[in-house]
Amino acid sequence: MTATGSQEPRDRARPAPAAPAGTDLASQIALVARGEATAFDAVFEQIGPSVFGVVKRVIRDPAQSEEVTQEVMLEVWRSASKFDAGRGSAAAWVMTLAHRRAVDRVRSVQKEAERERRVAVAEIPFDEVIEAVESSLERERVRRCLGSLTEVQRESVTLAYYRGYTYGQVASLLGVPTGTVKTRMRDALIRMRDCLGVPE
Amino acid sequence: MKLTKRSQIRDAHTLAGAYAMDAVSAPDRERFERHLAECEECAQEVASLRETTAMLGTAAAEPVPAGLKERIVAAAAVTRQQPPADETEPVPLAHGTRARARIWFGSLAWPGRLTLVTAGAAAAAVLAVAVVFGVANSSMQQQIDQAQASSQQIAVVLTAQDAHMTTGTVAGGGTATIVMSGSRHALVFTAQGLHALPASRGYELWLIGPAGTRPAGMLPAGSHGMTGPVIASGLRPGDHLALTAEPADGSAHPDTPMMLDMVL
Repeated sequence: MTATGSQEPRDRARPAPAAPAGTDLASQIALVARGEATAFDAVFEQIGPSVFGVVKRVIRDPAQSEEVTQEVMLEVWRSASKFDAGRGSAAAWVMTLAHRRAVDRVRSVQKEAERERRVAVAEIPFDEVIEAVESSLERERVRRCLGSLTEVQRESVTLAYYRGYTYGQVASLLGVPTGTVKTRMRDALIRMRDCLGVPE
Repeated sequence: MKLTKRSQIRDAHTLAGAYAMDAVSAPDRERFERHLAECEECAQEVASLRETTAMLGTAAAEPVPAGLKERIVAAAAVTRQQPPADETEPVPLAHGTRARARIWFGSLAWPGRLTLVTAGAAAAAVLAVAVVFGVANSSMQQQIDQAQASSQQIAVVLTAQDAHMTTGTVAGGGTATIVMSGSRHALVFTAQGLHALPASRGYELWLIGPAGTRPAGMLPAGSHGMTGPVIASGLRPGDHLALTAEPADGSAHPDTPMMLDMVL
């Protein structure tokens, strides 16, 4: 599968796609903070598949991914009152909890990751991500924006975000200095941000 | 390599991308978060990059395995929520300790009102009680132990791989919800809207099956329409769960009509 979208124009003018759903999720989370079980159900319906998806992409093992998904969602339930809409969207709050917890879980079994990383390069994680992406508007946009990155930027993002590697691990994997990887990661995310129309 | 102050700051800036993707080691994370607290511009950048990575995450969404949502919703129903920020202010010792300890003790003494206490929180509660009352007397210690053991058992059932949830209607009013784990031979029972009984009577759970009819525990008095969670263990294949109203200190055999009969 080829997915080179680098010739495509940047589409900054598009509205931030997460906004309408995010607003709704934020108000549901406010209800969860008051102990509303039905709102928690609604939150799960909306973001549960994203949480499970990203956790599973990092962790791989389905049973462990279910465990971590449960931990993340219970954390959302427990700390709903700590969510501050002024500091970011509800989706970003939940997905940050999810990704961090997934990453913490794999780093606690680092040896496994050491074994895995030898095959990581050959596996071309980007293609794997693209394969899983179904045709929804938002997914299509993410796919296209990932395609607009340079190859080295895309590699850095997919290895870090979808694999849960540290920039140090990515550096040794790709055989480049850590400083280069750090810069590359930041440049890549800024480019993604602009492409996706996320406000700065 | 020696870094000037300026290049150190630039270095920290550069870390924003790696940090937003959790691609930093624990010490790096800590260091960067200290920097974030002092750098409004960086905090804004990280926030916008977090929105971006959230969309990367959403693009990886996939259908959730059957039963996972039900397990999580059931676990949430018995998990204590954190209060909003201003209520977590530490209470001055001279005024607040006794009252706070009473709240802790109150919630520990009646497992019916017990939210799922983590091991750490339970230990803190025991400590709070011990601080106020001196050395805990044995019956209090026993109650605490029981409550702790029960909340741990509840957690074990709720997080079991094979845990699944069923609901049933109680004759005379109310809904029962159970989360059952065959591998743990146990279930967690909660009910909503049970009819209040006179003080001389109480609800009793029963396990009925090929292995005979066994009492499975008295329900604690309800609070705000909610009863439980309570744990019933010793499940055998083919058991039903039943509920009757009995004298407050319980019966050895059900003496009144079944108000609930759930196939397990």
